[in-house]
Amino acid sequence: MTSLTDRYVAATLRGIPEKQRADVDRELRSSIADALEDHVANGEDRAGAEVAVLEELGDPTRLASGMTGRPLYLVGPELFPAYRYVLFLLLAIVVPIVGIVEAAVEIGSGAGIGSALLEGIGGALSVGVHLAFWVTLAFVIVERLDPATWRREDLKDLKVLMAPWKVENLPELPTSGAVTVGETVGEIVTAGISIGGLLYLRGWSWVTDASGQPIPLFDPALWNFWFPVVIALLGLQVAFHVVKLVVGRWTIGLAVVNAVLLAAFAILFAALALTGSLINPAFAAATWPGLDDGDGIAMVAVAVTSILVSGWEAISGFRRARQRPSTEMEFAS
Amino acid sequence: MVDEELLGTHRQELRRGTVVLACLLALRAPEYGYALLKRLGAAGIPSDANTIYPLLRRLEERGLLTSEWNTDDTRPRKFYRTSPAGSALADQLMSDMTDLTASLHALNGGAVE
Repeated sequence: MTSLTDRYVAATLRGIPEKQRADVDRELRSSIADALEDHVANGEDRAGAEVAVLEELGDPTRLASGMTGRPLYLVGPELFPAYRYVLFLLLAIVVPIVGIVEAAVEIGSGAGIGSALLEGIGGALSVGVHLAFWVTLAFVIVERLDPATWRREDLKDLKVLMAPWKVENLPELPTSGAVTVGETVGEIVTAGISIGGLLYLRGWSWVTDASGQPIPLFDPALWNFWFPVVIALLGLQVAFHVVKLVVGRWTIGLAVVNAVLLAAFAILFAALALTGSLINPAFAAATWPGLDDGDGIAMVAVAVTSILVSGWEAISGFRRARQRPSTEMEFAS
Repeated sequence: MVDEELLGTHRQELRRGTVVLACLLALRAPEYGYALLKRLGAAGIPSDANTIYPLLRRLEERGLLTSEWNTDDTRPRKFYRTSPAGSALADQLMSDMTDLTASLHALNGGAVE
């Protein structure tokens, strides 16, 4: 036997379980010899015929996977929807929470805004990479389990995800009360950006004083009490959005909680604006004298806008809680 | 004129569904891999070696084929034969195939044959 065939057989056997190797080895060599004999009988020279026969057989990795039934993919089409669902859901919930918590802990330990932001982003990235890796690994293993076993008895949780599709699984139309992963991600990201923005503006400003030091937009005194409260409220909103996603749809109870959170936020912001304690007096002096006046046009606009936006959000929560699809109520009764 | 590439793709799809049946029918008379390949080709069912060899192993694993090494020839060869279970499956599939062909002829607007 020449070395090309030896190498081909060896490459194929690498993908074959130990106990079948001897048999596959013998049969494959015999098949190659048969084909080779045929080619040579047709007048080809032996070396050229060997190349032709082996190339006809193709990639030994594929040949071996065909013999063993081992897939040539990580996660196949049957498991892929469940994989994507689990991965995105976990990423959407865990990554923002870890990022915010890590940044908050860094702030709590007295670090600067810059390092808190870095800590938050770094934490979010690292937990995201871990999640993606471990979830993928889990599905890759499940993909390689014997289908006859796991589909019937084992892995009950996965069986739920793999259950036959029913019309109840249809997503609600966008106008209905159902909560989607996409909107939840959007809401959490928005809250995260708000928190990050507040923290960032504590130490950074586009206006600087004579010595080049930044003049923060917001009154630094707010960091003694009110801004931590604002950040806590935003954190509660993140938690609320996650709970809402888990519940799966707007309910009157959720709408009430949502309204309370938004009202607290709006009232706090409006009060700070209208009492003239929101904007840093030094910032106003350097840019637009009167900007920080509680009865000035700017602060009234801030107060009105925050009340209107929060009010609208609160009302739409109640509207979506009412918009249960009619079928849902029929089944409920 | 039908696009060659398109024709090739769909022909392959069509044959993929029948290659198991072809093997089960042909192997009612025992045969080794390369000879089966030649026989299928001569019968008008050309198949690739890298389709047939793995398929034989999988069919054997499922009990539809049995195998036996024959060392009498110039070189040792693994002969496959359709098992009783494989033969029963072949009968069922063959009757399905006949029905399918008749249905396609009917859809084509003409009588069978």
